[in-house]
Amino acid sequence: MRRERFQKLQDGLSAGGLDGLVLLGSSSVVYATGAAMPAQDGDRAALFRAVAVVVKGESAPHLYTLYADGAPPELPSDHLHGPLFPDLDDGMDLFAKALTAHFAAGAGIGVDHQSHAMLRGLSGFDWADASGVLGAAKLQKTVDEVSCIRQAQLLNELAMVDALRILRPGVRQIDLSAVFLRRVFELGASAGGIDPIWQVMAPTREIGPWTLHGDLAYPTVTTDRFLRHGDVIWVDAGIVWEGYASDYGRTWITGADPNAQQLVQFRRWRSVVDACLDILKPGVSGLQLGKVAIQANDGVRPWIEHFYLAHGVGTDSAEMPLIGTDFGDQFDEQLIMQPGMVAVFEPVIWEDGAAGYRSEDIVAVTDTGWIKLSGSTYDPYGFGA
Amino acid sequence: MSPAPRDHGVLIGMMSLEDDARVDFSLLRGERRAKVLSGMETHGLDALMLGGSGDVHYVSGARQLGRAGVLPYAPVAVVVRETGRVHLMSTWDEGVPPEIAREDLYGLSWNPMSLMASLANVPGLRDSRRVGTDGLTPMFAAMISQLVGSAELVDAAPVMAAARRIKAADEITCLDVASAIAESALSAMEDALRPGIAERELLGIYDEHVARLGAPTPPSESVCFATPSRGPVRFRHLASDRPVGDGELVVLAPGALYAGYEAGLARTRVAGQSAPPGAADLLSRCARSMEALLAACRAGNTGADLYRAWEDAGGVESPVPLAHGLGLGAEPPVIGLGRGAEASLEEGMVLSVQSWVAEEGVGGCLQRATVVIESGGASALTRYGRL
Repeated sequence: MRRERFQKLQDGLSAGGLDGLVLLGSSSVVYATGAAMPAQDGDRAALFRAVAVVVKGESAPHLYTLYADGAPPELPSDHLHGPLFPDLDDGMDLFAKALTAHFAAGAGIGVDHQSHAMLRGLSGFDWADASGVLGAAKLQKTVDEVSCIRQAQLLNELAMVDALRILRPGVRQIDLSAVFLRRVFELGASAGGIDPIWQVMAPTREIGPWTLHGDLAYPTVTTDRFLRHGDVIWVDAGIVWEGYASDYGRTWITGADPNAQQLVQFRRWRSVVDACLDILKPGVSGLQLGKVAIQANDGVRPWIEHFYLAHGVGTDSAEMPLIGTDFGDQFDEQLIMQPGMVAVFEPVIWEDGAAGYRSEDIVAVTDTGWIKLSGSTYDPYGFGA
Repeated sequence: MSPAPRDHGVLIGMMSLEDDARVDFSLLRGERRAKVLSGMETHGLDALMLGGSGDVHYVSGARQLGRAGVLPYAPVAVVVRETGRVHLMSTWDEGVPPEIAREDLYGLSWNPMSLMASLANVPGLRDSRRVGTDGLTPMFAAMISQLVGSAELVDAAPVMAAARRIKAADEITCLDVASAIAESALSAMEDALRPGIAERELLGIYDEHVARLGAPTPPSESVCFATPSRGPVRFRHLASDRPVGDGELVVLAPGALYAGYEAGLARTRVAGQSAPPGAADLLSRCARSMEALLAACRAGNTGADLYRAWEDAGGVESPVPLAHGLGLGAEPPVIGLGRGAEASLEEGMVLSVQSWVAEEGVGGCLQRATVVIESGGASALTRYGRL
């Protein structure tokens, strides 16, 4: 898997006329090198970041890391280096030396982030945006990548069984996080992804949080809020296994079974996703998927304005393909589904006055259709293929 | 509340009290904003466009979704000197403090063109002549240049790093609370430690505990590792499935965040009853080196003084920093790994200081503390029995 990913980056370098890549974002480093690193919060992850250097024509990436225990076993020892500190002026002598060892003066290098220390201290290269090369490589997953996403998702779903089990009036949002996080690490998660979300959905938009666009606010941040009888909870959580993110989305109800109206919401959600899956195969455009989703929801767009009908998942929790975003219809029309793309369908069914239903189905596009990577239980709403 | 509680201890908790005795976050945000605006004045910056999570937290005080890892630069918060306003990328106002009005928000976008269109509406931004950022990408450099015309794009660090470096009293209180949460997590991990438990189970217990306390985003999941009593001993960062062996020295190193402020500590404990021969010596060597480092954490000293103290105490080159800054996450300076010899220590800085020693045939020992530099020397914010 790591070899195949590296080859894709090499192909991208050739196609883009670049001499190499210097990658600083956590998920890009993971993609390029396969390095494991402990999940860390924002500025800690930045100050002690790992750096990947990909040199055109070489057979393996260079990894500069503080976390040598996370280096993949096959990485040649002369490709594993101590950490660089790209955020510090004090780190530029090391960084410049490293780059001089890999690249000739004037080399064209793709980069995903630049600190001002780098802008001051690393002159003599022609910097370009790495997003083109990375985006193209990441868009279609290999079979092994798809397996990693499925495994991450399985661990996530299993840990959610335990969290759902404790849900009753009086439990707080953070209590659900506590049970979920403990269980998911016991089960084998490599790292956490996002702070798990257990948002209580107010029955109408009007009494939910104020938003710029008038549509729903989602996701809001977990607190010690108590969950009370009848609260409709939109759950969202992502963890990481071998560098790949899961994406769990379900609707739960506190202390009650879904009523008839809520079950209808669920069935409508199912029918929207099914309408998409009915046509999903290579060659179908994002715009076509959006259209059938809207049609299945009686002409109402079944997703939140600031989000999407579907998004990809990989070493990032949300990546291309994005369908139904502010990139617009023309973008969606040109977005053609291809084998190996992974799509997380997360439509939202909303009945103002009676809240709504939201879950996430993850599928990978195959040569002829799709396979499902997420599970098919939607407790407490039941099963749905 | 009483004007200034004489017993600081009443402040160390997370719930608000009826008498408003604990951290006044509105005051704290106001202090931070004033520092930033005055720094912008001093350095001649008309606007800041910030993407680093600590910087965004510092200027906005918003409760933002915790996520692991670091993303490439994008402008998540904007500060305009002329208007004195902070603008934040948030589609809703939940979690946003009241001084950031609804009209100061701009929405989450996937398309950078929509983001730029929103930013074009931020009053005063397009008229800026000097704009500070805390990072760039080639794409955003081009787009921001287009947005602000001929304005110069410069480093925001002289403003942001300077503002964040010296902590206000309420920031120290937040760090005190974070320290107490981390100590609580250490107690939970200590209780669970026994031969046969896997590192990942200890990590699970840690995460469960800090979440239950209301601080579910760990600053780092590198919180424990067992060190082998046979063969080479390495500092490890990732929790493994390997069961902890009887008599092994186990590093327990939890951290915690409170209102974004990070503190952490580490202790090394023996799993089971019988420590390997030489463990007592190793633990006391670790403690001596720690004392030497802490003694060197004085205002006016530099990183070189820490290096010297470490070496004089018999320390060999450490695979982890001897010290680094703390505040809204990890901060410069980094002292250790060949960096930071010239970094100067000032009163009001907060540091994570750590002593790691290892010996083949015995294991490894880590001590870590969160300290604030005061006039008389370093004062530990984290407190826990040594052994």
